[in-house]
Amino acid sequence: MATATKDVSLNKKVSQFFWRSWAIQASWNYERQMNMGFLYGMVPTLDRLYPDESDPKQLAAKKEAYHRHMAFYNCTPQTSAFVLGLAASMEEEYAKDPENFDPDSINAVKTSLMGPLSGIGDSFFQGTIRVIAFGLGVQLAQQGSIMGPILAMLISIVPSVLITWFAAKIGYQGGHEYLSKLQGGDLMEKLMYVCGIVGLMSVGGMIATLIGATTPLQFADGTVVIQDILDGMMPQMISLGLTGLMYWLIKKNVNTGWLLVIAIVGGIALSAAGILA
Amino acid sequence: MNTFISAVLVGLVGVFCMWDSRLLGRLNFEQPLVGATLVGLLLGDVPTGLAVGAAVELVSMGLVQVGAAVPPDMVLGGIVAAAFACLTDASAETAMTIAIPVAVLGQLLGIVFRSIIAALTHVADSAIDNGKFKTAYRMHICAGSGLYAVMYFLPIFLAVFVGTDLVQAIVNMVPEWLSTGLNVSTKIMTAYGLALLLTMMIKKGMTPFLFIGFLLAAYLNLSVIAVALIGVCLAVVFMGFKFNGSHAAAGVDSDYDPLEDDED
Repeated sequence: MATATKDVSLNKKVSQFFWRSWAIQASWNYERQMNMGFLYGMVPTLDRLYPDESDPKQLAAKKEAYHRHMAFYNCTPQTSAFVLGLAASMEEEYAKDPENFDPDSINAVKTSLMGPLSGIGDSFFQGTIRVIAFGLGVQLAQQGSIMGPILAMLISIVPSVLITWFAAKIGYQGGHEYLSKLQGGDLMEKLMYVCGIVGLMSVGGMIATLIGATTPLQFADGTVVIQDILDGMMPQMISLGLTGLMYWLIKKNVNTGWLLVIAIVGGIALSAAGILA
Repeated sequence: MNTFISAVLVGLVGVFCMWDSRLLGRLNFEQPLVGATLVGLLLGDVPTGLAVGAAVELVSMGLVQVGAAVPPDMVLGGIVAAAFACLTDASAETAMTIAIPVAVLGQLLGIVFRSIIAALTHVADSAIDNGKFKTAYRMHICAGSGLYAVMYFLPIFLAVFVGTDLVQAIVNMVPEWLSTGLNVSTKIMTAYGLALLLTMMIKKGMTPFLFIGFLLAAYLNLSVIAVALIGVCLAVVFMGFKFNGSHAAAGVDSDYDPLEDDED
């Protein structure tokens, strides 16, 4: 499939990643967190790659690509610009050479990067910059100076702008540079293997850290606390069980709408019954 | 100034602060100090806005939002407290106490709206199936930002225009089993989202790595970043087993996987 990519300057592309990574949280939700935000960031690239919706082949490829980027995603907006740029370069390589490029590698790379990049991003922006900026800002504001909030905003905005811009640029350009080197040979296969492992292990880590479901069940006047027993065997066992249950239901082809209803109604029912908290 | 206009103005400050993290990558306009100062600016009493903002900011310092947990909403509280301090001459401390039910209502709305958006994700899924690509991403940029705006505007507007008594009454109307129950629902929804991701990622023979990641985080309390770095090391080690030597006879043995088990 020869895709005639419209020529768009690098700066235009980078500025699209820039603004759209900032807007990545606009539909943050409990189920897949920033999934639609990531898709929104990919839309210009995907629309350029598959411009002709009357061609059934292109339409199918476009639907598949849109679906691909609706997967669970969560990462600091500023560092997400890097992932957006990289994923866009991968989509472009895939559209050029759909025979030899495994599209699963795109989500594998995204999932591998989101853990480390949000760890770095959150501790830098929320843990460091914010504390410095508002530590100074509050001091000045207490003395009644309007410079307090103004200074705090300046300290916050400058690094944010710089990091987002260069992260997007490096992700996009670096992606193309390395991907062309990876084509041919088994390097791509090796990269896929590494990303597959790192991605799966990250999701395992997220199951243990993001869900945090517990049980308030107690027996014999509070001397037998079920959660303590479970923690003694395996901490976060309930979170793992819930994920396993949902995975099994998805594999059973239960309608996705029903699954959401199960999650909401089931949560309220289990909480009211005193089984989950 | 007319109460209605003040209520709208303060509500819009709330929308602006909320959109900071939704549309501007959290540049930190969404901080009590900035929100309260903006309220002071619009209501013509900057010193009061600054004082309330500094007080609330101090309380909120150190609260970093991690994961799906919803922390006490200090930004919303700060905005409402600043409005009360400017409009009624209440002290910063009194204004903060008055602001608490408003922050609670904002948080309840937050849980409900973040669940609604989870449902909208499914609307976007089926829009893509039908080839309606614009509808799909508008769920994000229009519906998402819109709902988040309402989430801040509504409680702030009600509190300033009608008074906190009404807000308190609304909060009292929500039964406790519902709000604690929804909290559990959000956890199951997160499990669902991760399970969906797994259906795309799990390949034959790779499942043990998922459990290694889980066990490292669960038993050793390692962060996801630590788990990912260990993953890179493990992957390099296993790559040695998987790819070494077998390449002389490429094609013959290329499907060999030391971890392959015979599931399916």
